[in-house]
Amino acid sequence: MSGGVSRRRLLALAGAGLAAGLVGAGPARAQAVYSQIYDAKRKKWIDYDPSRAQQYYQAYGSVPAEFKRQLVPFRTAEKPGTIIIDGDRHFLYLVQPDFKAIRYGIGVGRDGFGWAGIVSIGRMVEWPSWTPPPEMIARDPRSAQWANGMPGGPDNPLGARAMYLYEGGKDTIYRIHGTAEPWSIGLNISSGCIRLNNDDVTDLYSRVAIKTKVIVLMSGAALYRGV
Amino acid sequence: MFRIDLALKRGFRSGRMGALRSVVAAATLLGGAGAACAAEVIVGLTAWPSAQVTGHIIGELAAEKFGDTPVFLERGSVGLLTAIAKGEADIYPELWSPNLDAAVQRVGGSLTISPRSVAGHQGICATSAAVRQTGIRSVADLTKPEIAAAFDTDDDGRGELWIGDGSWFSSNVERVRARSIGYDQTMQLLEGAEAVAMAAVDAGSALDRPVVFYCYSPHHVFVLHDIVVLEEPAYDAARWSIVAPADDKDWLAHSRAETGWDKSSLSIAFATRLTTERPELAEMLARMQFEPGDIAAMSYAVEVDGKSPEAAAEEWLAANRARVEGWFK
Repeated sequence: MSGGVSRRRLLALAGAGLAAGLVGAGPARAQAVYSQIYDAKRKKWIDYDPSRAQQYYQAYGSVPAEFKRQLVPFRTAEKPGTIIIDGDRHFLYLVQPDFKAIRYGIGVGRDGFGWAGIVSIGRMVEWPSWTPPPEMIARDPRSAQWANGMPGGPDNPLGARAMYLYEGGKDTIYRIHGTAEPWSIGLNISSGCIRLNNDDVTDLYSRVAIKTKVIVLMSGAALYRGV
Repeated sequence: MFRIDLALKRGFRSGRMGALRSVVAAATLLGGAGAACAAEVIVGLTAWPSAQVTGHIIGELAAEKFGDTPVFLERGSVGLLTAIAKGEADIYPELWSPNLDAAVQRVGGSLTISPRSVAGHQGICATSAAVRQTGIRSVADLTKPEIAAAFDTDDDGRGELWIGDGSWFSSNVERVRARSIGYDQTMQLLEGAEAVAMAAVDAGSALDRPVVFYCYSPHHVFVLHDIVVLEEPAYDAARWSIVAPADDKDWLAHSRAETGWDKSSLSIAFATRLTTERPELAEMLARMQFEPGDIAAMSYAVEVDGKSPEAAAEEWLAANRARVEGWFK
């Protein structure tokens, strides 16, 4: 049950985040753009101190083993080449022949949480530029300097590669992308959509093409019509 | 945010096939000479894999045994019934009951349904991990909060249960069942594209995670994974009353379904006039008998193995030659 570990880790870190959120407005507020975590019980995003996850990453040089890229058994009717994203368990599967899949660890952001469905890759970009949305500029004045676009590079929050998800030929605003914060893989952190570390997103990028089918599972369930 | 009201890629039940039906109805009508041409047999192909494989099996046999030329007509389920009633098609390879019962009644005596059928099932299924880890055995077990919580995927303490595509007739019934039995209080009911739900079963099985979901058989998910159909009381008409949303805006409150589904079945059907115009063909159609495993294997061959319905039909015939010859004795 390797999947259970991510849940326990998430809850432990969420607990740490809760404490940090209560501590105060100063440093926590300064981190706001990059440090909120989803509290499912209260159904809201709360401030989160990322230092614990960062410490783990620094101590071990990587995220926990289950989030490392690996070939796993995966029985499915989906054709090889299809991407299946399990936001709940923080895994992205790239279906391979013979009932196998390459499994990548992912981080899921505010925008990547709570939707489900079938989309496809409509655009692929290496070292993409990034433009903060207006609400982020309003929330964090520091991001205003990039109002006209932040060029691609190691500090760019979209990381090394971005795959833009389309539905019916139109951009959904959701992306699979890299990250400047590799320690955040395995977490629900507020910035970004579906994040892989830069090495993994580069690997995934090299294996897929425009029109690749992407299935996003029902974690969060908001887009499944709850009844 | 976007809605997942994606058009059904495939329609396993005609009653569910609104959008696809009209699309397919506009598709190819080859030949066009109709059933009056003795050597030409118009085989309807509805848009799900096992029906298409069965249609090609029928076409191959009609050619082999009687020298017929099969012509394949892609239609939605109700459109195919209408085509048969009008004399524009001859054969309906996989007719689902009770889903299409009302539509069959409307076309009256123009359609003959084979007395042989394959038993189908509709209900709630669980992965083997669910049974092993939670002890769940019955649908009613979903009303127990401690069991329901094991199916939680969003950390809100309630489990998630996919009840079908929002466009399916069965999804309304599943909502009623959840309310009548009481697991609407412990489980979050989800509607969405079947491919997403099946991928969730795939991902759950890969991690040995518990998953419950609306299921029907024959279906390739039973071949792909170790799946258990949850127990429930047998269908009881006295405890089953479904009001259509079109008839009553409070349909959910005014509906009741406290038991399992009525028996489902799938059968070959054909134009009644074949019994006089082509009695040997009508007899073959009435004698053909498939098993649930055949239907699941057809679905699997097309969906998982990626074979064309025609190729899957040829392989099935080659592998089941003795049974097939038995139909003609």
